[in-house]
Amino acid sequence: MGNEEERSAPTVSRRSFVLRAVIGVFTSLGALVMAVPFLRVVFNAAPLRKAEWAEAANISILPEGQPKDVKFEAHSVDAYLRQMKLRSVWVIKHSPEIFSVFSPICPHLGCYYKWDPSTQHFECPCHGSVFTITGKVIGGPAPRPLDTLPYKVQGGKLFVKWERFQVGIPQKVRV
Amino acid sequence: MAWKWFTEKWPYYQLKKLLLYEELPGGAAFASTLGSSLMVIFTLQVLTGIAQLFYYVPTTDHAYDSVAYLRTEVPFGWFVHNMHYWGANAMVLVIALHMIRVYVWGAYKTQLTWLIGVALMLCAMVMSFTGAPLIWDEKGYWAGEVGSGITSTVPVLGNIVKTILRGGESMGQLSISRFFVFHVWVFAPVLAFLIAAHIAALRTTGIAGPWDERKRRRVGHFWPDQAARDIIVASVVFFILVTLSVFLPPPFTGQADPLNTSYVPKPEWNFLFVYQALKYFQGPLEPVGTVGVPTVLIVLLVILPFIDKGPERNPLRRPIAMACLFVYACFIIAMTIMGYLSPGFAQMAGAAGAPAARLGKGETGGAKGPAGKGVAAGRKLFQSEGCAGCHKVNGQGGTMGPELSGATLKGKTRKWLADQIRNPKSHNPNSIMPAFSQLSKNQVNALVDYLMGLAGTGGAPGPAAKPQPRAPGAGAQVQPGQANAVSAPGQAQPSQLKVVPPDTVPETPSGKAAYIIGSASNGEQLFKEQCAQCHGAKGAGGVPNPGSAEGVVPPLSPINKNIASPDPKQFARNIDKFIQHGAIPPGPNPALQMPVFGDNNSLTQPEISNIEAYILKLNGVDRSIPAHPGMDPRLFYAVFVIAYVVAAIVLLMMWRNAGRSRT
Repeated sequence: MGNEEERSAPTVSRRSFVLRAVIGVFTSLGALVMAVPFLRVVFNAAPLRKAEWAEAANISILPEGQPKDVKFEAHSVDAYLRQMKLRSVWVIKHSPEIFSVFSPICPHLGCYYKWDPSTQHFECPCHGSVFTITGKVIGGPAPRPLDTLPYKVQGGKLFVKWERFQVGIPQKVRV
Repeated sequence: MAWKWFTEKWPYYQLKKLLLYEELPGGAAFASTLGSSLMVIFTLQVLTGIAQLFYYVPTTDHAYDSVAYLRTEVPFGWFVHNMHYWGANAMVLVIALHMIRVYVWGAYKTQLTWLIGVALMLCAMVMSFTGAPLIWDEKGYWAGEVGSGITSTVPVLGNIVKTILRGGESMGQLSISRFFVFHVWVFAPVLAFLIAAHIAALRTTGIAGPWDERKRRRVGHFWPDQAARDIIVASVVFFILVTLSVFLPPPFTGQADPLNTSYVPKPEWNFLFVYQALKYFQGPLEPVGTVGVPTVLIVLLVILPFIDKGPERNPLRRPIAMACLFVYACFIIAMTIMGYLSPGFAQMAGAAGAPAARLGKGETGGAKGPAGKGVAAGRKLFQSEGCAGCHKVNGQGGTMGPELSGATLKGKTRKWLADQIRNPKSHNPNSIMPAFSQLSKNQVNALVDYLMGLAGTGGAPGPAAKPQPRAPGAGAQVQPGQANAVSAPGQAQPSQLKVVPPDTVPETPSGKAAYIIGSASNGEQLFKEQCAQCHGAKGAGGVPNPGSAEGVVPPLSPINKNIASPDPKQFARNIDKFIQHGAIPPGPNPALQMPVFGDNNSLTQPEISNIEAYILKLNGVDRSIPAHPGMDPRLFYAVFVIAYVVAAIVLLMMWRNAGRSRT
């Protein structure tokens, strides 16, 4: 074997170059063909879904001027899981037509904040962000005010669109 | 014959020689057994991990129940799960000890072995991080939610990392799938590969041995001298793991439920230092805490063998290196302890008066209503005196007394209010409101200021919110079904409440919560907020219920013996029926009735399961006890200990005999 190789050294080296090229080209091609779908699958982010109106509450039982934790069931689609899910939003009734509807999720890192009636602030138990009743940040690490959700009033009932927003950034970006 | 055939075709002897016949400078030593203990722990993690996979389902709706099923319904499932939990903790702890040992001995100077070791440590942390959310309990869910949220604060790459971790923007089904794949299929194999690489590097450079040149000249052997020491230490570690698994099972923290705000998320102990660091860097500086601090700590470890290249390994002659270790370890330990002791951000902020202090001058904090001098003081008293335990204000508070915002107090004079606070019986001889005669005149005035401000503001208008003349003599009213949440349409209405004697289990079906193993400790918190005002602190009862046949609200500790059951599942189902659908106590005109908590979503099913676990605990029943343990855990432990002690005695005697026969 060794002798044979020495004898035909120049041709073998050319052949060997071509063989290496064959190995290299096919491997790279294969890798490239696999890499794009593989990375696309792994890096995929679930697409935005259109939020639907969900009936949240009868407006007659909402207190005026004070935040109320309103829970309601809404249709939820989480990838391939379709369920009715319990949602909660903070609703402040300013008048029978005008409301503030806040997403219950702290815009800092996604914990659910609470209303503290003694301080009249929203406070997040995770990292201590504090918000006024208007959603303004007055303490803690939250990068933006509380997120408002779209609502409409129809037939004495409050309808809310359950949406989520990216946390941890100063802009309100729907996700 | 067959053996010869096999060894001719497979490099058995070569492999055995490679693995076992290692020469050790300085001889065998107990000091160098931590690495092999880690190997043993890793093997245990693989075995217990595989065993769990036979039951585990990585879906948001079934993960928690599948783990609970394994822990309570599968013989020895509890043991496998607990061993995996404690093994994971031990892994992180022993890695830390191993690294400290290597540092003190100056063994990091082999460079590559140390670097792979640092990678192994990070990999173990990633395993710890990706493993917790798989249970989809409160603790794991929030660790995943906040942990993956933190990655988004990494400059530039943050969002990509978060998307890879979550499979989208928010935590959900795609996230649990990903945590599962990372934990089981990506990082566990990476960990195994790194362990192999770590050992290969160690065998290439040889082990460092003692720092003393003279001692190093004595050469020992891995087999069997070091191997025996390794297995002795590993068996001690194993012993500790079994003991912890039997006597300290990880608590059930309840099914993941973002709506349950009474749960305060806190990370696992090995991430507490990051959690603590986060507190010092806020706003634009936040990435410094979330990313900067851990990065600096890791970079220091990586560059260590390239900065300290001197041949000296004796710790006594490396004062600077030892001082660095001391500072580094103290920093992490101190941050961890501070993180552990800190009561959570909200309480911290409240205690320091921080939110108030941060208020701008123009801010009123959103307080509404006419501002009397004492309004703020009154509001504080209202909380501190426990008024909110019975009275709702603007939708927050107990349901035992009438709501105080809205129309309830309209038209009441200052004097009427002051009299009501000092002596409720002066207006209504049957009132069950306690007299607050201990309050000073100023305090009562402040409370009245506050209450006057409430009159006619906010509150729940409409006939439903008005105290109904259900029991003309009683001071307390309840509006069933109105308890805490707004009833969604089509849900149980007050009129559907059934009369149920307190010693009878209702015929109605139990809800989902009865089948969820809840968290007794979170249940205690929820009980204080939702149940204690009527059932008494810790369910001790004694709260009067005029107009009911019993005259008092039934106590829950001890609960009526017809409701209780030694079988936790049955017990939970029994009380679940009351909590889900509510009930009216028998009697001519009961002032108080059990409100609906489940049918109207006033509490979520996981929240109800937590309350149930707590009520069971009050009655001496553990909701999370394995129904089919395979063997009584204490008996299992006794057998285990006896086997170990007997083996140790026999081996010790053999050792002594061998020593005698040698001489």
